[in-house]
Amino acid sequence: MAGVLKKTTNLTGLAVAADARKTLTVLYDKLLRTLKKMPDDATYRTSTEEIVKERLGVVNSNKNVSDIEKKINCGQAEELILQAERELDLARKFLEWRPWEPMKEKAPEGQWKWPHP
Amino acid sequence: MAASLRRFWQPSLNLFQRIAGNRTISTSCVRQQYSEAPKDRKTTVKPQDITTHETLKEFGRYVGSCMPKFVEKVEVSNGNELDVMIHPDGVVPVLSFLKDHMNAQFTNIVDIAGVDVPTRQYRFELVYMLLSLRFNARIKVKTYTDELTPVDSAVSVFNGANWYEREIWDLYGVYFANHPDMRRILTDYGFEGHPFRKDFPIQGYVELRYDDEVKRVVAEPVEMAQEFRKFEYNSPWESFPKFRAVEDVPLAESETKKIEEKK
Repeated sequence: MAGVLKKTTNLTGLAVAADARKTLTVLYDKLLRTLKKMPDDATYRTSTEEIVKERLGVVNSNKNVSDIEKKINCGQAEELILQAERELDLARKFLEWRPWEPMKEKAPEGQWKWPHP
Repeated sequence: MAASLRRFWQPSLNLFQRIAGNRTISTSCVRQQYSEAPKDRKTTVKPQDITTHETLKEFGRYVGSCMPKFVEKVEVSNGNELDVMIHPDGVVPVLSFLKDHMNAQFTNIVDIAGVDVPTRQYRFELVYMLLSLRFNARIKVKTYTDELTPVDSAVSVFNGANWYEREIWDLYGVYFANHPDMRRILTDYGFEGHPFRKDFPIQGYVELRYDDEVKRVVAEPVEMAQEFRKFEYNSPWESFPKFRAVEDVPLAESETKKIEEKK
């Protein structure tokens, strides 16, 4: 049944993707390229690479979209595309924000203490 | 309402976790898991769910290690609530991470609350409450500010934050930078002051009444009889018995010896 599209995602405003496998592969490749610009030991880079590589592996080894959805188990293919787009957006912004650097300024003593003396 | 948190703030348990700087942490997601509770036991005390607690702790550590620049402290309070304490510069990065990251997906903003503690150096605390429908989980992000320092607006991340931030501005007077429409939202036209600040008088500054002579509603400064001006704030009950300051009791000599022997 490969290549047969489902009629609807049953989610308002979310159209069925014409070629979900191709879109996902392109997005995951872009993500991996963006992540390569981050330092090697950043937890965000290592963990995101782990997820993306796992998902990319599933996408590459399965022809059928419904099999991919079942194996990744994080929603429909259209939702997976949305997630990948968001992650890509985030990774690009992270390159600017550089959140893996150490903290510059700490909160004053007792800021998080409750009840406050 | 956001501001109701000010009066009914839940004290958190002392289960906080300092974030370890360079510890390697495996990828973790926040999917809510529950350990099975014994069904025959009847109790009025909320049961502790260790699985939830551990999942949250691990996810909190993960958030902290992904963004050490902004996250100061992570805490699991009341057994199943995850609090992330961040530096005010990190509002937009941390919220975008929680929204966009595949393991978090907190795509809904539930509320933004304010807390006013005038004795602190940064007297206002802002609490962002997020919900992840994908993983059935909630998270609280806390940050701090004072009367003059503006905080970055979260509207660029969550459109729903627009009115919540206006509410905070109206009631507490915390200014949000880059907000598209920073106006009063709840108080009356011409209202002065921020009514949820602790130093705002409980009777307000003006009172409205219908004046028969001029046939309209007039606003006048509040006049209070002298006996209503003085309030007794001390409660006869202890407010926070859980947080009673406990003095360090020195160990007996025999105990000290035992500890030394163990070493």
